[in-house]
Amino acid sequence: MKYWNPYTETLPPEQLDAIEFSYFKEYLAYAKTHSPMYREKLKDINVADIKTIEDVRKIPFTYKDELRAQQEKLPQNFPYGALLGVDITEVSAFRQTSGTTGKPVYVPESYESWQWRVEAWCHILWMAGFRPHHRVFLPVGYNVYVAFWECHYACEKVGCEVVPGGALDTKGRVNKIIEIKANAMGCTPTYGLNIAEEAVKMGIDPKTMGIERMICAGEPLPEATRKKLEETYGARVYDHIGGTEICGWAAMCEEQKGLHIIEPFFLIEILDRETLSKEVAEGEIGVVVITPLGRHSFPMVRFNTNDMVVKGKGGCACGRTSRKIMEVVGRADDLRKIRGVLFSPKTVEQFIREEFPEVVEFEIIVERKGIMDELTLRTELQPNIGKDKAEEIRGRVKERAKVKTNLTMNVTLEPEGTLPRYDLKAKRFKDLRGKA
Amino acid sequence: MEEIRKEIAAIEKSAKRLKELAHEMPGIKTNADIILTFVFLLKFVTPVAESKRA
Repeated sequence: MKYWNPYTETLPPEQLDAIEFSYFKEYLAYAKTHSPMYREKLKDINVADIKTIEDVRKIPFTYKDELRAQQEKLPQNFPYGALLGVDITEVSAFRQTSGTTGKPVYVPESYESWQWRVEAWCHILWMAGFRPHHRVFLPVGYNVYVAFWECHYACEKVGCEVVPGGALDTKGRVNKIIEIKANAMGCTPTYGLNIAEEAVKMGIDPKTMGIERMICAGEPLPEATRKKLEETYGARVYDHIGGTEICGWAAMCEEQKGLHIIEPFFLIEILDRETLSKEVAEGEIGVVVITPLGRHSFPMVRFNTNDMVVKGKGGCACGRTSRKIMEVVGRADDLRKIRGVLFSPKTVEQFIREEFPEVVEFEIIVERKGIMDELTLRTELQPNIGKDKAEEIRGRVKERAKVKTNLTMNVTLEPEGTLPRYDLKAKRFKDLRGKA
Repeated sequence: MEEIRKEIAAIEKSAKRLKELAHEMPGIKTNADIILTFVFLLKFVTPVAESKRA
């Protein structure tokens, strides 16, 4: 079976538009009546006045900082405050955001809302070719973070056998994959590479571990990193995009050319960066604004993700009719001005993974020295690379960094095992300016 | 798709009735509620498609 839901996945785009618009109005009405935050925030918006997509643009965005403030309200709804969209007794699971950009947001899941999000994730797995013959190893302690819980439940639902791999160290996880003959995996791209690195240290070629398919979560996946994972494991590796507040909302199909929006689960707007008021054209970069259309326990209307993507063309060789995004450019939050130049850490990851297989780990640090910003790229190379060769690689990395970013960086060689390894979201970029 | 929607409607009616009958039986009532959760999902993934663009 090629599609998870052949009906919705092949509807003409204009019909999907109409369905999503109709769902949006229902959802807006729900949010206004059930969410204390939206009751106040949208008090001047009348659902009956929303007649076109242009009318939708008049509804204010929801921002992450706002969520942090709203969850402090209404102590009877602790810890979700004014964000809760159902009675507190209906909440069946607690999740939270990673806190990468500030205080975590606590996310209530009712049984219904959780199943809705799992259903969306089933599309992600099915597009990535996960099927009932797959034994999926999830080499992560999921804790309160949502992506691997979604992956876990969706694996069960699509019929895979899922093996939770928390409470093991990386070596233990390599051994477990081999012991149980897992043939698929879900992990962050960083941790996928770490597992492979550990396997090599154990004398095991990752290609012999039997992993044939991988879904990545938790971090951006530059194309060079995706290809590196594919080469390392001899596996097919797929990306998806999602967030704790708004669920997994787009994913790669077998064509591996861009990501399909999971329709009609979401109303996705890709808006121009300057005014956030117009949908961008195909091929242009825009900011993603998302409304998950069936999530009642945590209503979210026009959530501004700050994610910047390249809007794709409709249509795909896989036959799905959903709209696509071609690339996640990064988060607007990740872009930094350094010495007057706009810098994205993703650019560094892209060229390191593409051109320097010898670099096993890296970290970027920006500091202020006097009045100047200083950028350091710390690198850790594969073991057993001689001193002269390492110096030569260091020089080339420095040169390519300058070409790719327009910034001069200090490039350092760090001893093996110095740089942190991550099994959840990697934090390879540290902006220490303003931190004494 | 129309046949599928009819079946979903029938399941919904039946699950609601089950819930009423099991008013004081948490085990049965909860399972009826779970059926209704999936009815909600089934309805969500089988929308009536109109050609008119918003």
